[in-house]
Order: sequence, then structure tokens, then C-alpha cells
Amino acid sequence: MSSVDPDRVILDPRFAPPFPQAALPVLRNPQLRKNVAHAIDVIQGKRGKLVAEKTDWQTLRAAASDLRTHVLENLGEYLVQFEERCTAAGGVVHWAADAAEARSIILDLLRQENANEVIKIKTMTSAEIQLNPFLEANGVNVFETDLAEIILQLGEEEPSHIVVPALHVNRSQVREIFARRMGLKNLSDDPKELTNAARTYLRQKFLTIPTAIGGANSLIAETGSVAVVESEGNGRMCLTLPRTLITLAGIEKVIPRFHDLEVILQLLARSATGERMNPYTSLWTGVVPGDGPQKFHVVLLDNGRSSILAKPKQRQTLKCIRCAACMNACPVYRQTGGHAYGSVYPGPIGAILTPQLMNMQHAQSLPFASSLCGACYEVCPVKINIPEVLLELRSQVVNQERKQAGRIFDPLDLGLRIANFLFAGAGRFHAAQRMGRIGARLFTRKDGWIHSLPSVGAKWTQTRDLRGLPPQNFHEWWAARRKEAK
Amino acid sequence: MNTSSRQGILERVRSATGAAAPARIAEAYAALPRDYVRQGTMTHEACLDRMIERLREYDAEVVETAPEQLLAAIGAQLEASGKRVFVAPEGLPSEWLIPGFDWKVDRGLATAEIEAADGVVTAAFCGIADSGTIALHHSPAEGRRVLTLLPDWHLCVLRASQVVETLPEYFSRCPQPPALATYISGPSATADIEMTRIKGVHGPRFLHVLLVHDDSIF
Repeated sequence: MSSVDPDRVILDPRFAPPFPQAALPVLRNPQLRKNVAHAIDVIQGKRGKLVAEKTDWQTLRAAASDLRTHVLENLGEYLVQFEERCTAAGGVVHWAADAAEARSIILDLLRQENANEVIKIKTMTSAEIQLNPFLEANGVNVFETDLAEIILQLGEEEPSHIVVPALHVNRSQVREIFARRMGLKNLSDDPKELTNAARTYLRQKFLTIPTAIGGANSLIAETGSVAVVESEGNGRMCLTLPRTLITLAGIEKVIPRFHDLEVILQLLARSATGERMNPYTSLWTGVVPGDGPQKFHVVLLDNGRSSILAKPKQRQTLKCIRCAACMNACPVYRQTGGHAYGSVYPGPIGAILTPQLMNMQHAQSLPFASSLCGACYEVCPVKINIPEVLLELRSQVVNQERKQAGRIFDPLDLGLRIANFLFAGAGRFHAAQRMGRIGARLFTRKDGWIHSLPSVGAKWTQTRDLRGLPPQNFHEWWAARRKEAK
Repeated sequence: MNTSSRQGILERVRSATGAAAPARIAEAYAALPRDYVRQGTMTHEACLDRMIERLREYDAEVVETAPEQLLAAIGAQLEASGKRVFVAPEGLPSEWLIPGFDWKVDRGLATAEIEAADGVVTAAFCGIADSGTIALHHSPAEGRRVLTLLPDWHLCVLRASQVVETLPEYFSRCPQPPALATYISGPSATADIEMTRIKGVHGPRFLHVLLVHDDSIF
């Protein structure tokens, strides 16, 4: 007997169950579905209003899309430029080929600082490389400082969204977690009181822990500066108070110039949280004497990104600015929430990014976790054609499966090969139709419908009826009509 | 540092994209479309109204004043706050340090001293009406970043001539990229619990903006 909870959330694509299976716990949990739907309705409502008031929304999207494409086409030059300018400004730039290297670079830096505690700004990239468990295992206490991340960390929960990672947890669950972990028995479930509890819990940590880890929304090649957007001020605390700051960023995060932020910033907050602007944006350049951390490290992470870059149809995945508009718009995400994706990147962007980061060796069910309705493409501020990439990845997954031994006798494969043969010639097609009509007669009831088919066909008729084939098809009807006219 | 990872990443990136000459890249960059609204179309007066409206939507307090009334207005704000101990950036005009309050001028104040203060008074670099954003470039009159972070109450003096309508207008006002910048759009906030907006998490919970009509001669 295994004691492992079958509903346990696993966000490591190497071990997570396939999407349809991982979605079941959420689909069985009405409270969770209610929490997810409520959060998404609120964000979507706000986003819709603010996007509608922006008359130049589509031209901004076009500008952002072209800007991000341009960066990716010239990524090597912009990265080198960023490195040069950041270094000149007193920063130290590190390059990490994969997650393991990034983790060990960061641990080495912490050891040099004798840091056994670290405060953290929310960064999905650190979740991607599973930094926290690694640091904890190596004796470093990690304190997340974003409210949602505290909820997850103290509640031993997993993130289910990239902007509001605790959207699946409601206020009474937060109350329970905080009361238990902060020792506050009389805490109410008023969000204001809960937020205050987090403020108090973190204040001393901000003031005393001298090392911070964060991410980046943009790396600016022209200046070597880094920009971080946030709401709570926890980011500013981590970027300002510590002696040492370590920034972890994917190599795709570069933008050419400072004023390119005018494009990104106008799109990001509106898309992410439905605000005209997020409360705080911080920008800093290397080390500024007398203001903020006097030691600054940037870890540039590849971890599969350069191989995505090499594939022309898939490259657009890297344009992403992590706003989460795609998951908020997605009818599948709305039903399943984020955990079903078995990755720290859920939703449509996760469905294309995760399998690619895994070099198509894991998470192959994700490209199929979509109705291809295109809502994600429509809202994407940098115009990533997610359905196009989904289709491309689906075909790769199918080709992978086809290569597996034994696939040649797979009923679906066999059926499709036969269909391919029949549909390729008019004579064959008509003959098949005549045969089919005779065969279908066996199963068609008096009402003209097929209610159940045997064997593989049952998979269809289990959940729906099939209309019986008409006695005459269009071609036959047309030919007969012309004959009569003569 | 592991130089082979740097080399490996750059090699993979360049073999994926090909390496264009810097002049070609600059040309391609210059040709990028920028058809979005760069220059606002409002009158300056309407633009100021918009700025005030947006700030108030963020629950920031806004008070307008004529330049000759500025000191009285600062004094009134400080008085109304009920607070006594204020931090001032080193380059804040000395006459803004209204007598009768306990001023800590930042000549390298310790974090604990800033944390112990009740509030802070600063100047600003720019106001962006579209989103009600205040841009700080942390000049001597705007102060180090920590000054506008730890005290719970922030009085920001913004001149009407500093207010622009659109974000691109702010960027064209920057003579060169700042080494440090903070863009503030209302007091700190979170919506992490059931998407309920809660004002004031870690940053200042109270943002007061004193809008000085220094351009009223027009």
C-alpha cells in the first residue's frame, strides 16, 4: 500500500502525471474550482475595462511583438551588451547552462556571503529551477516575501498561477495557515488583517537579513539595468535593504534600450492584474554607491531556452513577458486550475513552454490540454500565436509516438492510415462510402440514429449519438438530378 | 565563473539565430514600428485633472497649491498627519523643513533611524497622468530609495510642469537613462487574497501628493 496522496500536487514535469489525470483532483473539488473561477473573473473584468479604454492597444501589441522578436533574433549581441554594461556598473554576471548550474552558482554566492538566511522576491524562474528546496537542503533558510508566496510557503502549497500564485487558496484557508504557522490564534479571515499579519511577520526579516534573491522583468542591454515590477513593496525591500542582491533571469528577458520599457510597462500591468500600472516598478544599474546593495550578481539562465530559439516556429514562445493573460482567458485553465499542468508554468503558455523546456522528453500531454479556441493568442500582449505552437508540438508528440515499436498496430494509427488511403482518391472514397452505408445499416435504428457502435467505435457512441448515413450522398443526388433534367 | 557555460550559451544562441553585424542590428531596431500614442492630446489643465483623478483612484491624497503657498501647504499636511518625526533627503530645499517638527536629514542615516521615522517628504522627477504614476529618479531632493520605502507616510511634492500625459512622454523627458528609478502608482497594495485589493503591505501605506501649480502664469 502506498501512503502517497493520489491528489498530491507535483509541479515537476519529470514526475507529474499526464494532464487529464492531474486535472481530476481539481475537477472533483468544488471549493477549489470556485476559488479559481472567482479570481479569474475579477482579473478578467478589470483587464477588459482597462484594455478597452486604451485606444492604441493593438498598435502597442504590434510594437511589443516586433520588439521581442527583434531581441530574440539578435539575442547574442544584446546579452553581451547587457553583460558589458552591467559589469561596468559594478554588477557581476554569471551564465548558467541549466538549472543545476544556476542552483550551484547561487549557493556558492550565498556561501561566500556566509548567508544561512535569504529573503526572496517572487520569481517564477527560481521555481523553474527548484531553487528553494535545494537551498533548504543545503542549510539556507529561504523566506519568500510576496504575500501569495508566503501563503504557499507556510501552507506547503504549490503555485497555480504565475502572477497570483495562491489564487486557488481562499481567505479562510489563508487564515488557517497564518494562524498555525505564525502562532496567531485570534486572527480573523479579513484580508486586511491577514495582509497586516504578513507585514508584521516580514518586517524584521527585511531589516535584518542581508542577502536577497529576485528575478527580472527586463534586462536593459543599453544600460545594464534591471527592472522589476511588483505591487506590495516587498520587492523594493529586497532590492534596497540587503547588502547583497542576486538576480536570476532567463536569457530571453533582455530588451535593447531603456525607453523600450514604455512598450512593456503599458502592456504588462493591464494584462496581468487589470491595473493601469502596477504600484511599484524598480530599476537599478549595477551597484550605486550609497544606495541599495553594494554587491550585485546576475545569473543568466539558459536551461533549454537556446534550443527553443533554434526552432523557427517555436521561437515565439520566448517573447513571453509572463503576464498570465493567456491563462486568465483560457477555458481549460478556468476548469482545471494551474496544478493540472504539472509545471510551475501553467495555462496556455505553460502548455507550450514546459514541454519545450523539457526538450519534448516530458509533459507531452500539455500541448493537447487546449481546445485551440485561440483566446490566448487574442489577449497575448506580445502576440504569441500559442495555438500555432500547440499544433506544432502536437505533431511532434504524435511523431514521437509513431516511432515507438508496436505503434504500427495501434487502432487509431491504423485507422488514420486507412483513412489517408481512402481519402486520397475519389473512386476509393465513393466505394468506401457505399460500403460504409451498407455496414452502417446494421447499427442504424428506426429513428435514423446510431446509438451504439462496437469495438473502437464505442468510444464515440459512449457519449454521443451518430446520425445514420443518408441513402444518397450529394454527388449521387447531383448526378441523378442532371439525368432527370435531360 | 565558469567561462565555458558563457561560451556554450552564446554559441548555441548565435547558431540558432545567426550573428548579424551591429550596424544591421541598429538598423533593424530603428525600423521597429512605434505607432502607439506617444504624445498626448489633452490640454495641460485636463492632463493635471487626469493625474489628480488617477491618484485619488489609488487612494492617494492630493492637495493643489500655488507656488507661494507651498510652504504653508507642506506645513498643513505635516500638521494634519499627526506625526512628528520626518525624514528628509539631503537635497530637499531647506525651507521645506518646516519648523516645529523633528527632522532627520539623510546624511547617511542608518536604516533603523529611517524605520523609526513617521514619514518622509520628497520632490519627484515626473508625473504620468495616464496611469497616475510618479517617477522618482532618486536625485538629492528625491532621496535614496530606502527613504520612500520604510516610513509609512510619504508626502511627495510634484510640480505641475513635471506632469505629462503619456508614459512615452516621460521617457522622452529623460535626458539619459537614470541609474536608479522607482515608479510609484499609488500606495503599496496586494490582491493576493481572493483578489481583494488591500492598501498598504510593505511600502508606505499613505501617499500624499502636493501638486504645485508652478505653470499657472500661462
